[in-house]
Amino acid sequence: MSVRVLVRTVSELCITIGTLIVLFVVYVLFWTGVKADSEMNHQIDQLQKQWSKGSVAQQSKAPPTTTPATGNPKTPTARTTESPKAPGPYAYGKPFAVMYIPRLGFTWNKPVLEGTGTSVLQKGLGHYRGTAQLGQEGNFAVAGHRRTYGDPFKDFPQLRRGDAVVLTDGTTWFTYRIDKGPYKTVPTDVEVIDPVPRKSGYTAPGRYLTLTTCDPEWGHSHRLIVWAHLDSTQPVEAGKPQALRR
Amino acid sequence: MYGFIWRHLPGNAWVKALISLVLVLAVVYVLFQYVFPWAEPLLPFNDVTVNNQ
Repeated sequence: MSVRVLVRTVSELCITIGTLIVLFVVYVLFWTGVKADSEMNHQIDQLQKQWSKGSVAQQSKAPPTTTPATGNPKTPTARTTESPKAPGPYAYGKPFAVMYIPRLGFTWNKPVLEGTGTSVLQKGLGHYRGTAQLGQEGNFAVAGHRRTYGDPFKDFPQLRRGDAVVLTDGTTWFTYRIDKGPYKTVPTDVEVIDPVPRKSGYTAPGRYLTLTTCDPEWGHSHRLIVWAHLDSTQPVEAGKPQALRR
Repeated sequence: MYGFIWRHLPGNAWVKALISLVLVLAVVYVLFQYVFPWAEPLLPFNDVTVNNQ
C-alpha cells in the first residue's frame, strides 16, 4: 500500500469522525429540543382533549347530584375551601397535569408525566413515583431537564422565594409558592423529596412541592432543588389563578 | 474510502452525485433516528433526579 493511499484514508477517517461529532452536537443541542417541544405540545393536547371529554362527562353526571330542589347555584368560593379529591393512581409515562411557572416565562408551560425514567423526561417533566399526588398532603416531587430536550428548567436558578408554581389537573388550579431555593445538593440526597423535606425548613406535615434538576447546567455532579407549599386552589371554572394573570 | 465508493457508483458524474447525496441523507437519517438517541442518554444531561441513577 502506498503512502498516498494511507494518508488519504487517514484524512478521510478524520473528516468523517469530525462530521459525526458536529452532527451529534447538532442533535443534542438542537434536535432534542425540536423533538421535545413537539412531544410536549402533543402531551398537552392529549391532556386538553382528555379534560374536555372528562368535563363533559362530569357535567352530564353532575346535574342529578348538584342541582337541589331550591335551585341555588353553588358559589365558587365555597368550593375553594374544600380540599380536592384524591385522583386515582397516575399511569406510568402518561401526562396528568400541566405546570406553569411565570418566573420562567409568561408562556412557559410543560406537561407533567408520571415517572422519572429517561424516556419519560424526554416528553416533559417527571413526577417521582411514590411521592404525593398533586395537591395532596405530602411532597409532590417533580424532576425536569435543565438542558437538552427543550431545556425546560434552563432558568431554574432564577427562581426566588414567593414565586408561583401553578399546576392544573383539568379540574382544579393549584398555586404553590416557593419558600426556599434553589438549594444545591448531591445526587444521593434523596431526603429532599421526603414528605416533609427537613432541609427546606418545613417541620410539620403539609402539602409541599419539590422541583429538582441538574447542576451545573451541562453536568451531573449536583442537583438544584426548589421547595414550595400549596398556597391556594380554585376550580377551573373560576378562571385562571391570580399568578397567571398579567 | 470515498474514492472507492465513487468509482463503484453507476452512471455518469451527475447520477453519481445524486446517488451520493441520497446515501449521505440516508446515513444522517439513520444517525438521528437510531444511533444518536441511543448514544445521548449516555451523556450526563439526563441525570436530573435525586434517586434513580
